[in-house]
Amino acid sequence: MAAQENTEISTKFSTLNVNAVEFVPSFSYNSVVNVAEEAAAVVVAAAAAEETADPGPASGSATPATTPDSVGSGGSTAGAAPPPPTAQGAGAAAPSAQPPTSSSNSASPAPGSPATTPSAGAAAADPTPIDGLNPSDKIANNETDPADSWDVDDAVITPEDEEVEDAEFTEGEATPKVSKKKVVKVEENRSKREHVNVVFIGHVDAGKSTIGGQIMSLTGMVDKRTLEKYEREAREKSRESWYLSWALDTNQEERDKGKTVEVGRAFFETDRKHFTILDAPGHKSFVPNMIGGAAQADLAVLVISARKGEFETGFDRGGQTREHAMLAKTAGVKHLVVLVNKMDDPTVNWDQTRYNECKDKILPYLKKLGFNPAKDLTFMPCSGLSGYGLKDQIPETLCPWYRGPAFIPFIDELPSLNRKSDGPFIMPIVDKYKDMGTVVMGKVESGTARKGQNLLVMPNRTQVAVDQLFSDDFEVTSVGPGENVKIKLKGIEEEDVSPGFVLCDAANPIKTGKIFDAQVVILEHKSIICAGYSAVMHIHCAAEEVTVKALICLVDKKSGDKSKTRPRFVKQDQVAIMRIECSGMICLEQFKLFPQMGRFTLRDENKTIAIGKVLKVVE
Amino acid sequence: MSGEETSADRNVEIWKIKKLIKSLEMARGNGTSMISLIIPPKDQISRVSKMLADEFGTASNIKSRVNRLSVLGAITSVQHRLKLYTKVPPNGLVIYCGTIVTEEGKEKKVNIDFEPFKPINTSLYLCDNKFHTEALTALLADDNKFGFIVMDGNGALFGTLQGNTREVLHKFTVDLPKKHGRGGQSALRFARLRMEKRHNYVRKVAEVATQLFITNDKPNIAGLILAGSADFKTELSQSDMFDPRLQSKVIKLVDVSYGGENGFNQAIELAAESLQNVKFIQEKKLIGRYFDEISQDTGKYCFGVEDTLRALELGSVETLICWENLDIQRYVLKNHANSTSTTVLHLTPEQEKDKSHFTDKESGVEMELIESQPLLEWLANNYKMFGATLEIITDKSQEGSQFVRGFGGIGGILRYKVDFQSMQLDELDNDGFDLDDY
Repeated sequence: MAAQENTEISTKFSTLNVNAVEFVPSFSYNSVVNVAEEAAAVVVAAAAAEETADPGPASGSATPATTPDSVGSGGSTAGAAPPPPTAQGAGAAAPSAQPPTSSSNSASPAPGSPATTPSAGAAAADPTPIDGLNPSDKIANNETDPADSWDVDDAVITPEDEEVEDAEFTEGEATPKVSKKKVVKVEENRSKREHVNVVFIGHVDAGKSTIGGQIMSLTGMVDKRTLEKYEREAREKSRESWYLSWALDTNQEERDKGKTVEVGRAFFETDRKHFTILDAPGHKSFVPNMIGGAAQADLAVLVISARKGEFETGFDRGGQTREHAMLAKTAGVKHLVVLVNKMDDPTVNWDQTRYNECKDKILPYLKKLGFNPAKDLTFMPCSGLSGYGLKDQIPETLCPWYRGPAFIPFIDELPSLNRKSDGPFIMPIVDKYKDMGTVVMGKVESGTARKGQNLLVMPNRTQVAVDQLFSDDFEVTSVGPGENVKIKLKGIEEEDVSPGFVLCDAANPIKTGKIFDAQVVILEHKSIICAGYSAVMHIHCAAEEVTVKALICLVDKKSGDKSKTRPRFVKQDQVAIMRIECSGMICLEQFKLFPQMGRFTLRDENKTIAIGKVLKVVE
Repeated sequence: MSGEETSADRNVEIWKIKKLIKSLEMARGNGTSMISLIIPPKDQISRVSKMLADEFGTASNIKSRVNRLSVLGAITSVQHRLKLYTKVPPNGLVIYCGTIVTEEGKEKKVNIDFEPFKPINTSLYLCDNKFHTEALTALLADDNKFGFIVMDGNGALFGTLQGNTREVLHKFTVDLPKKHGRGGQSALRFARLRMEKRHNYVRKVAEVATQLFITNDKPNIAGLILAGSADFKTELSQSDMFDPRLQSKVIKLVDVSYGGENGFNQAIELAAESLQNVKFIQEKKLIGRYFDEISQDTGKYCFGVEDTLRALELGSVETLICWENLDIQRYVLKNHANSTSTTVLHLTPEQEKDKSHFTDKESGVEMELIESQPLLEWLANNYKMFGATLEIITDKSQEGSQFVRGFGGIGGILRYKVDFQSMQLDELDNDGFDLDDY
């Protein structure tokens, strides 16, 4: 049989093309036999292939990249097949002469064997038309071996596909494969797709997690089967309407109560951008966690519920609609999208009057915070549960009065953000965990980091080396500003890292200090504030107990003039310069040098008291 | 007399005893000639007198001449003091007598007798090389003590609130795993690890709570408040690992946003309704009222030594507020250059180093020191003459901390407005700060 195939190859190229075409149906047939996970894997591979094909026409260098992918999966082969027949119209007649023989040969052997042989044949065939490009031949030959290895692994896994746990293992196994490909792909991707971090904020029960889960579903980041499982489990617990939020609420107590506790994180991609979703908790006791999410965000989405009574509760003084919007502004978020959610609720039923009522009430407050309605602010109606208004326009039959863009297309079209790519590397650490080494998580605020690079963990000045880099779960060789990343470090134990620490350039580290002078605006405090006042300060991802050591001067809100005498105390709505002492060493920088590390919020017990910016680090 | 006492007066008495205890505890003597005598109410003076006579006889046999004379002298002093009372006062009687050695190495006789501000149910006679103040300390500690457990995802803090004392007994941090986006088999493993660590955390808190709040097999607190974010406090209160003796003491569960000190402060604030009789709460309210006067700019407040004393003399002080550790000394000086005048100074330790305060400006002659005592002690003895009530506070609460560091630790709420404006602005200047830096 092998000799027979060789003969066919040597005598007629058109015959090989026929084999390639025939191979696809066989593979598809096998897929049908296998479980859904395998099909899902194929779909993922096909999706990757489609994306891979896009760069082809744009650049000749893409061709070598395409070939290895083709070897990797049947779907890719299908994608690669069309060009050759077009180029060789003369060979069209020959395939029809021998179809019965080829089909018969493919059918009779075991499924595994033909999968390997035709792939190798295809690889051998592709370079032939371009005889003059020897480097291509070498690349193709080198890539063949890894592909074979992958096939072998797959063969080992295949017999156990029936079991659920092993299926999950298969999904896990798929990750390294995808990661390996992304080594090449992501580098291209980094130069092309802008990273944007989106935080969902708003009062508890407004539907932030549901919207996040719906977006994941609509963009294909969570598969149908998982969603169906969530829906089934949610129904068993009489929580049908909560199932979408479970994509982001992974903790048991979050699912039991339907309330987000910790910031959930996920990502999705559009044509132009790569979005990281940060799903913040809305309960007033978890505002500190929400601030941690907002500190990483470039764009904030304020979710308010249009349902009767819910908007009013959230918008009242003491509700989180106002507080979250103010905290996001303080955290440096420049753009705010307001999603008026639950428009499909029977009490609302896509009523324009209710939509305008909610919008008109909150707009003055957002203006007061400093958001410019013309360029920083956008309102949209939507329904997280049904998905309307998120990816596609709301059906005109339901909502004829709003014909603007849906949420995802809108944020895809937003102008690019300024990134500090030429500065020293700075990444506040949001979280850490142990996974065959110490892994830290955070958003890169400045500079780039590469695999193998030496960095410092401040404020303890611990020297570390970069072992591995992941940008939203894809392994990469370097990361840049705006990316939400995981970095595996060498030289430090997990116990020695805390959220609020900063990973930075060894030659140009971030400043640290314990006492600093700052300008502070008192937002809401019914009593007075004077020396001896203590509160909790949120600065980048750190939360630290602080005490006011001294009040230095008052600043006139309008003129900016500083008082010549030191005030004894300050009150609500006043602006003061004061000296602040932290209970421990923290990382911070002057606001005018680096705003992300120099702005902060002061909170006391469960209220936000003041916002401020660092003017001078004293010691 | 006792019927007229208010809670403010009682607090002044408490402060006086605290101060006394501190000085007594520092006293040391030669030999064993320092006598502590406590007579409970309903006891008999005659019984104690007889006991002292017997002790005198016994002491006569002490071989060491120096020690024998000291002990006999001390017993004689106690007997003299006791003769001043025909019967035991309603709250009992406390007497301390003996010769102590001062820091300069000199000997000094101490004779103190007083009736406690509330009944002291202890009988004590000890002749030792130090004074025994345990019974007095116990008297102060009789206020209800409340326990606090503040726990969140980052750690736990254990504290108590008793009288006007807020104390952190213990705190520790934990590293609980956060949520991850791991899929597949890892998701189950991480979920199991996470629940296990949470469970261990709750158990550890339960164990530490038992260690801190249970002594001699029974709770040492009158009530327990559980505070925290997330559901840890609920899990703790319902956990089998939580001691049932403490479980029955839980009076409130409160939601706070932070662990640590800030959460502790917030827990006290939120539980204030259940803690109305605790002095700490009353102290917070008092200073809160004082700050309200300042915030609303009514003018019915004063702060700083000079303004406060001036207002006191004017009779406009309704409530005098003073930090228990106010470090200001009151001096009465006689100026011999002018035979009729005396000068009263109030100086901080820093100011005391400047000898020019003790010299007459015109003649350059050093003035004679007539009297010297802490200002607070003088106020404690004289506040009623000015028609004011005196509130002695700590800096343990948020409000107290600001009152001490922001307003100098002395001030008052006034009955009517007094104009101190010209003085107020001069007190602070910007010499220490360069405004151009900002």
